Amino acid sequence: MSQAGVLTDVETRDEDATARPWNVIVHNDPVNLMSYVTMVFQRVLGFPRDRATRHMLEVHHKGRSLVWTGERERAESIVEQLHGYLLLATLEQAEF
Amino acid sequence: MRFRRYSSDAFELCDIHPLFVELLADLPRAASRHESARARIYPDPVDADGVDVTGEDIEDWREHVHPELERLFADSREKVSGDLGDLGAGKGSARCMISRANTDAWLNVLNQARLIIVEENKFSERELSGAESPDLSTRHGLSLLKVHFYAHLQELLVEAAG
Repeated sequence: MSQAGVLTDVETRDEDATARPWNVIVHNDPVNLMSYVTMVFQRVLGFPRDRATRHMLEVHHKGRSLVWTGERERAESIVEQLHGYLLLATLEQAEF
Repeated sequence: MRFRRYSSDAFELCDIHPLFVELLADLPRAASRHESARARIYPDPVDADGVDVTGEDIEDWREHVHPELERLFADSREKVSGDLGDLGAGKGSARCMISRANTDAWLNVLNQARLIIVEENKFSERELSGAESPDLSTRHGLSLLKVHFYAHLQELLVEAAG
């Protein structure tokens, strides 16, 4: 009985971990140009210019910006593309 | 130095001062010193506080993603080297044609070079902001000038590409 209870608990937690979406975070660095970062957000994330500019300014002023949330595989692909443009980007699981 | 749209297929840098000819000619080499800034050029997909990505995930990332990035960066350097050609070899004022198709490669290589030079020289944010003029009597100051020159080119290309 207790074993079954533990298993159920583990399964539930694994399910939660899988179901939780992933965030793509872009971090500030003093080298990348503001115009360049805006251009990269437009290209990689398909943002219109004003939204790309808002996220760029958030990176610049707050040190980081959450630019995308969704399933892990796509999040990894976005981080890889951002690294290809030499932006500092990381993955983290979203909080519920 | 002047920058202009030369045709529908190319941009032109012309009347380039000899000092900037040297800086341009050095671009592919400056961008290739990846060991000086490996952690910055090939960052892990998780920051220092990250707890959601395991060590195994990071090893996988390094094994599969980093080689792809290396190929992308090397390909970009090759394209830029091709555009630079024999820059400065002829008589008269130097010029360089930048193929529009290579705009992304140029942006990429300029960024590689700037990141590497900044890592090598540990410039402060104040220095990078351009708030003070570089001391051109020192190697440090000349490197800062190079970072600013490459940034200027990047701005021109971002504007032209947009």
